[in-house]
Amino acid sequence: MTRLRTGPYLLSLLLSITAPSSITAAWSPSELSLLRLQWLGSLPPLPPDPSNRVADDPRAAEFGRRLFFDRRLSVNGEVACASCHIPGKSFTDGLARSRGVGETTRNAPTLIGAAYAPWYFWDGRSDSLWSQALGPLESPVEHGGNRLQYARLIHNDPIYRDHYATLFGPLPDLSDRQRFPDGASPVGTDAAIAEWRGMAEVDRKAVTRIFVNVGKAVAAYQRKLMPGLARFDRYLEKVFQGDPSGGKLLSIDEVAGLKLFIGKAMCVTCHMGPLFTNHGFHNVGAPDPAMSKPRYRLPIVHRFMEKPEPDMGRYHGVHQSLASEFNCLREYSDATKNDCSELVFANTRHQDTLGAFKVPTLRNVADTAPYMHAGQFATLGEVLRHYNAPPAAPSGRSELMPLALTDRELNQLEAFLHSLRSPPAVSAEWLQTPDL
Amino acid sequence: MGTLDWMRHGLSGGLLFACFFIPIGHAQPSQEKFIVTYKSQVEPMPLNRIHSWRMRVETTDGMPVTGADIRVDGGMPAHGHGLPTQPVVREIGEGNYLVEGLKFSMTGYWEMWFEIKAGGISEKKKFALDF
Repeated sequence: MTRLRTGPYLLSLLLSITAPSSITAAWSPSELSLLRLQWLGSLPPLPPDPSNRVADDPRAAEFGRRLFFDRRLSVNGEVACASCHIPGKSFTDGLARSRGVGETTRNAPTLIGAAYAPWYFWDGRSDSLWSQALGPLESPVEHGGNRLQYARLIHNDPIYRDHYATLFGPLPDLSDRQRFPDGASPVGTDAAIAEWRGMAEVDRKAVTRIFVNVGKAVAAYQRKLMPGLARFDRYLEKVFQGDPSGGKLLSIDEVAGLKLFIGKAMCVTCHMGPLFTNHGFHNVGAPDPAMSKPRYRLPIVHRFMEKPEPDMGRYHGVHQSLASEFNCLREYSDATKNDCSELVFANTRHQDTLGAFKVPTLRNVADTAPYMHAGQFATLGEVLRHYNAPPAAPSGRSELMPLALTDRELNQLEAFLHSLRSPPAVSAEWLQTPDL
Repeated sequence: MGTLDWMRHGLSGGLLFACFFIPIGHAQPSQEKFIVTYKSQVEPMPLNRIHSWRMRVETTDGMPVTGADIRVDGGMPAHGHGLPTQPVVREIGEGNYLVEGLKFSMTGYWEMWFEIKAGGISEKKKFALDF
């Protein structure tokens, strides 16, 4: 019996009518469900931060804004938070590895939408926005200062003193140099540590409390940095309203890239949700800069050289967060144990943490090069090629699988990523240096 | 089609935020030692949010199993990673247990493994979830 096989021909005819020349994408119900998850309209209101009782106090946000842009919060008067988190660069610095007083080993992430994250730093060694803010302030390669220096700045500046007193009550008197030397901290330089050890416990706690409150005010400011609608979100709004062309707000290539993003390229498995991150830690096997440094050819020299250690990311970060004096469960947190479930149930198993780094948001990604935890890739094209043909991980095991995307598909994905520009939805005064 | 496949196909057609109440233990009825059922304390089961499950453990003849030592693990076999959290199980009485600290951080196929030890008997159970 002979049957005329019309099916394939009809299908190809249909495809030729609908697909290539039209900007109209036919989204399936399951694709639409995924797209709704990615849409900024699905972003819930910013959850409260029980560990920071001034998190949503507008006076704290204003105080925090001043602190954020203040270069006096550094050992040499030259480094502010805004030095590496530059508002005009989506709160990044455009460098592979950020530079403060010295060079760090990590890339500065954007702060837009950061307040939604349960963990901070690429390795998640902080579990709140305020405790994150404290790390760079005492890092010898970032702000390079110490907590007593910062406490004294608040103490001696009349504007800061007022802001502080309004929010946290009167400052303790730091004028007695016997009790409160010029600088002191439990971390940092040997001199600062020695001074710290010489202080009374009650004075150390008073200083640390001021330092913590600086972090809490900076966090209140950062909570204002919510992402605004991207062209991608406006496209989806039109699609959800029943306009299959999405108001033609995305190009044919961008739509194709979006389809790949939520489909064949599997980006959405980790870059999930309206902030394009699941806030998790995953090993994607990015090359490690420390491992690629030139090595000596002579074996005898090589033997005596210090062996480079790869950046193991979450492997150390999870233990640092659990040990941190500033975590959700410790005395400087305003939370109760029930508010600290991310910390209480933190995964410490090395097979899940070794070589894993935090999944970054992809909102504003086209404006935040270079990429990965240490700025290993200069362009989005390099990032996409890494994901397409993943190498073995420098530490642990990469979770990536080869994608076999064509060059055209990679270009489409890259085109789509350019539709995610989401500038902060705040008025301009929040994005600039206030008069100090 | 094995039990796991049956569960995968049965569940994958469901809603993205599905809520399940799965009786388990049909793979080898002759070897089954415990009947385990669970229910999410938050419905629909949330994606990427820490929550708890209420779990019930019974003998095959329907008697509640008390004092069981239950170990929990899980992950996404296709991606080669475990759970984003480290859940813990505590007994709340009469064969009921609370699995706290669960989180499913990605869409896709997840497996949950429970090792149950009670009265000198041990059994491993596997649950399939499709988000």
